[in-house]
Amino acid sequence: MKSYLLQAKRGITHNKSRTFLTALGIIIGIGTVVLVFSVGEGFKSYINAQVDAFGSNTIFIETSVPASTKDLANGASDSGNVNSSAMNAVPVTTLKNRDVKDVRSIPNVKNSYGASMGQEVVSYKGISKNIFIFGADASRFDVDKGIIALGRPYSEEEDKSLAQVTILGADIASDLFGDTDPLGKYIRVGNYNFEVIGVYERKGSTGISNDDKQIFIPVSTLQKKILGIDYLFYAVVELYDNSKAKISALDVSEVLRRNHNITDPSRDDFKVNTQEESLSVFNTILQAITFLLIAIALISLIVGGVGVMNIMYVVVTERIGEIGLKKALGARNKDILFEFLIEAVLLTLLGGIIGILGGALFAYIISKVAESFGFSWKFIVPIYGVVISLSISMIIGIIFGVFPARNASKLNPIEALNKE
Amino acid sequence: MLIQLKNITKEYDNIGVITKVLRGVSLDVKEGEFLAIMGPSGSGKSTLMHIIGFLDRSTDGTYLFDNENIKGLNDDELAYIRNERIGFVFQSFNLLARTTVLDNVILPLTYSKKKNHKELATKALEAVGLGNRLSFLSNQISGGQKQRVAIARALVCDPKVIFADEPTGNLDSKSGATVMNILGRLNSEGRTIILVTHDRNVAEHADRIITIKDGSIIKDEKNLNKRKSEMIEDEDL
Repeated sequence: MKSYLLQAKRGITHNKSRTFLTALGIIIGIGTVVLVFSVGEGFKSYINAQVDAFGSNTIFIETSVPASTKDLANGASDSGNVNSSAMNAVPVTTLKNRDVKDVRSIPNVKNSYGASMGQEVVSYKGISKNIFIFGADASRFDVDKGIIALGRPYSEEEDKSLAQVTILGADIASDLFGDTDPLGKYIRVGNYNFEVIGVYERKGSTGISNDDKQIFIPVSTLQKKILGIDYLFYAVVELYDNSKAKISALDVSEVLRRNHNITDPSRDDFKVNTQEESLSVFNTILQAITFLLIAIALISLIVGGVGVMNIMYVVVTERIGEIGLKKALGARNKDILFEFLIEAVLLTLLGGIIGILGGALFAYIISKVAESFGFSWKFIVPIYGVVISLSISMIIGIIFGVFPARNASKLNPIEALNKE
Repeated sequence: MLIQLKNITKEYDNIGVITKVLRGVSLDVKEGEFLAIMGPSGSGKSTLMHIIGFLDRSTDGTYLFDNENIKGLNDDELAYIRNERIGFVFQSFNLLARTTVLDNVILPLTYSKKKNHKELATKALEAVGLGNRLSFLSNQISGGQKQRVAIARALVCDPKVIFADEPTGNLDSKSGATVMNILGRLNSEGRTIILVTHDRNVAEHADRIITIKDGSIIKDEKNLNKRKSEMIEDEDL
């Protein structure tokens, strides 16, 4: 075995630039495989961070244009009530604070909160900014995992009494106050003065929104004083037991239908998503992208494998004299077969290792770029990805090396010797 | 008797045109003999050596090696005999390029079950006077030294027979004489040597000279004026 390796190493190091070019297809293919695995894991870590932000035991209520209304609007019998009201010009105004309180009567529901959003000019000492204002029930502080770095959350009483208190996102706090302590100071939001009672810890961008660039106030204050509305944009329900999330989602739907006087589920003006459902959308997208990229990588690997086979045929022809000599010295057919096969496998394995390093480097760069845009993206090279990549490169070496190696082993020693 | 050939024929079928290279060769070689096979090119002497050396099979006839009929042996068994029982020395040395002298001599050992490869190879190289060239690459030494490495390689598995096919063909006369001296010494130590050459002067190192022409032995004579191994000092040593 050791001598096979030695002979194979001699072959590979003979013509280094040719070895590299031969392995290039494998390098690109394996690099892509590792890149896909690594970025896939990074994407998962990002999604998990999003899920964690909402708490892992939650279900999500969003408003939705009823199917029948939509049919009237665009004249198509489209698939159910999938469009959220955010996507539509006409807002759905039926999700109320009362709905959020009523779902708490469901046994598996631990807590819930409703939220609305608006945009307003916020100013402090001559600095003004047009920013998003996020309003939520005080119960949000129990459900979500945002950490208040400075100060305190607002209370339910403050919410009920339309108190003008606010918690700042980290970026807004530094934009408005710089290094000075914002607690107890008053900022102007629209036509009202709000007391700063807290500052959130920096969270980073979620890709869609950036909590660091928002301010947070009680939902009632937002509805009554800023927006002049009485409805919610969405609500989050926290469960005791996430394994019963599907049943709880049905219970929640029932409560909402009763409150909204809906008898026909196809006329629902809301949509209830369990964590699993939200995740499955991401996973479907992720899988589709993964399959596509893996398919491309496979094509590259096959092309690379054919390149290896081609070069191995050339190498066999080049070394006919040497093969004849080895046979004359007592090498059996299988000795010759193994020498060439191991050379091919070593070649593809080398390509695989370079590919893994290259793919990992690429994935690292992507993670750094994602981080610089504020995504919570982890750089992970999964062990299974490395194992799979190394296995694939070895298998390719065997598949595409075996025919040239067989050719070499079947050579007649005299004919081979005379070719020298 | 070490080698017994009876009525060996060899034909090549080249797209329907049959070429008879050997036309019934019978030959006995005793253990310890120094035999030279002579003949002009195309006479069939190389083919005969390939058949005796297990590199090729005869079309017809029987070949007993050490009283064993080799007809029934498969390719792996022939490879085993080539490895363990015989050694080859070729005209063009056939060393592995970019490989040290030592590793060249180790090569046949890698196909055998023998242990202590380094030790055996070093011993064989010392026997041909190259104990101080072990780590040289095969392209860093002279032609005469290359052929001595090839002899060490033929010797390393301790074979009964050494086949030498025009071993001096690519060498100047002095290096050629050194190589023939080494072969003569190996023969005097009891090893059977079968030498193929077209050069009468080289053939005269042997005890017995057979001459082949057109695929048949036309002369089988005892060499009465055998050349003594002259002790020529090689400066390389």
